[in-house]
Amino acid sequence: MSEQLDKAFEALKTYDWGKDPNEIKAIDDAIVTTHTDAAARKDLETKLIAVLKTEVPQAAKDAVCRALKTIGTAAAVPALAPLLADEKLSHMARYALERIPGPEAGQAMREALAKVPANLKVGISSSLGVRGEATSIPALQPLLANGDAAVAAAAAYALGDIASQDAAKVLVTAKPAAATKVAVADASLNCAEHLLAAGNKGAAKITYEKVLASTPSKQVKDAATRGVAACAK
Amino acid sequence: MNNPNKSTRRDFLKATGMTTVALGFPTIIPASALGQGDKPAPSNRIVMGGIGLGNMGSGDLSNFLNNPLVQYVAVCDVRGGVRNERKNQVDGKNGNKDCKAYVDFRELLAREDIDAVHIATPDHWHAINVIEACRAGKDVFCQKPETRTLREGPLMVQAARRYGRVVSGGSQRVLEDYRGIVQKCWSGELGPIKAINVEMGTTSKPCNLPAEKCPDDMDWEMWLGPAPWAPYNHSRCDGNFSCEGGSWRSYSDYSGGNMTDWGAHHIGGATFAVDVRELQPTDVTLTVEGDKRWVAFKYPNGIELTLNKPGKSQHQVDGTPGEKREAKKVPEYAAKGGIGADFLECVKTRGKPFRDIEFAVNTVALCHLAIISYTLGRSLKWDAAKQLFVGDEEANRFIDRARRQPWQL
Repeated sequence: MSEQLDKAFEALKTYDWGKDPNEIKAIDDAIVTTHTDAAARKDLETKLIAVLKTEVPQAAKDAVCRALKTIGTAAAVPALAPLLADEKLSHMARYALERIPGPEAGQAMREALAKVPANLKVGISSSLGVRGEATSIPALQPLLANGDAAVAAAAAYALGDIASQDAAKVLVTAKPAAATKVAVADASLNCAEHLLAAGNKGAAKITYEKVLASTPSKQVKDAATRGVAACAK
Repeated sequence: MNNPNKSTRRDFLKATGMTTVALGFPTIIPASALGQGDKPAPSNRIVMGGIGLGNMGSGDLSNFLNNPLVQYVAVCDVRGGVRNERKNQVDGKNGNKDCKAYVDFRELLAREDIDAVHIATPDHWHAINVIEACRAGKDVFCQKPETRTLREGPLMVQAARRYGRVVSGGSQRVLEDYRGIVQKCWSGELGPIKAINVEMGTTSKPCNLPAEKCPDDMDWEMWLGPAPWAPYNHSRCDGNFSCEGGSWRSYSDYSGGNMTDWGAHHIGGATFAVDVRELQPTDVTLTVEGDKRWVAFKYPNGIELTLNKPGKSQHQVDGTPGEKREAKKVPEYAAKGGIGADFLECVKTRGKPFRDIEFAVNTVALCHLAIISYTLGRSLKWDAAKQLFVGDEEANRFIDRARRQPWQL
């Protein structure tokens, strides 16, 4: 097994588009076999991290990020974080970081958020939303006013994913540009629905009423109206 | 990640009263009432467009285009040849040149005159297409398998319920091909049901095909959409029905392979037969014997659904003949003409379609659970209300995957 794994890591050095995925399959196999072997798992992660620090083809780094999605820990975050600003690798860095437990991965993405170009801000915002950490709200809030509609919408949806009362407050007090209104309304509804489901009818009702006051589209108005009615039950 | 702010799926739908669809829609007035035969006047038809119009999308387009309830006005595909061919097909039927053709589905969805869309993009696009359509106030018919990840399913159901949309999944086989075993189970003939087996094929594989020159009329970035970037290769994006290579159905960035492609049908039929369409299982038990492996799902009501259990055949049911089970009427489509007609009837009446998105999502969830169990090589426990694996942080990392910018759910 170890020999096959060594061969797979050797293959990674030149693993480019067109190479047989079976050349690196031993890495996926090792993920399964090391599940209950902490030392072997740590060794595997260390080897994967080392690849990220070398000059290898994009396909190889993609493969490493896919593996770290499953087994990555806080130890992998410093190697993944610099990739967030790389146009070609930012997504695959998030592929791993979005799922790595602990505060480090979210912190790395929040730090990158202010430094990367607009299209990468969109991706990082969405991953922060999926992680659902309340600590991301202050980083996302200013993006609601971003002049790039895609950035503002991504921040809105991310706040909707966080779905807390604080996220709802940020959304309903935003003054979205026309192109961002759908996203802000949808995210606000998401927050309201989760607040209602959690039994916080007061906060939910306020959120629904704010949405209704924002001259929404017919489908948003209908949704918010039903929400207000549900709060009264 | 497990967001602590989130309520459970069940809490959410219950508290928000979104378990049923009931919204106003302009009444379709049959033109016969106006003395014009059976076809509604154009102003009273369901105005439709199609997104993703290759193999399955082409068939769906023909079905909807030829339905007298439909006024078909727009097509969308990232391939220029397909796009133009379908536009010409629609224009030919309508006798004009008015059908609009789009590369970007968001432009089609932005049209206020469109009531409903049908979607047959590759599987990795379905959730984004469906959710965006609901946000735009459209009713949706989406081809199977409806989801690519577990997390997508509840978000699609939520979008449908939030905006009061009729959203139908696309497996016609669930009702039409498996009627025999469904009838036997629902009639009570087999007594209380204990188990059903489904024969399934392979799962999808990683794809690392070499770069080829992309056709000039294809928007490759839009084809990839939320999937990881990869160079164009004709086999990577071919829409043929193979799950064993040479098609997007074969590769894990875009599809679950045979497991989801046929699972939507076979497992959909099985869950219908044993009447667990509204449920998701609690236990996924993986058994490996030599080079054979099989999975057993246990439902909260005790029913077991197995995939490839040795000694069992397709849709073989373990019942308890002789014991009483109350007969139930088998649900049918809301209108004659197949699953597409069922959808259109529900658009008119605001009813729940036969293949309501929640039933479809619950079916494909089994496919994803099986794939994750196979991938990790172990049994799993599933909390359907929280949509999380119990006590297995690593398995929870497979619930979803980050989407390539600028796409998100």
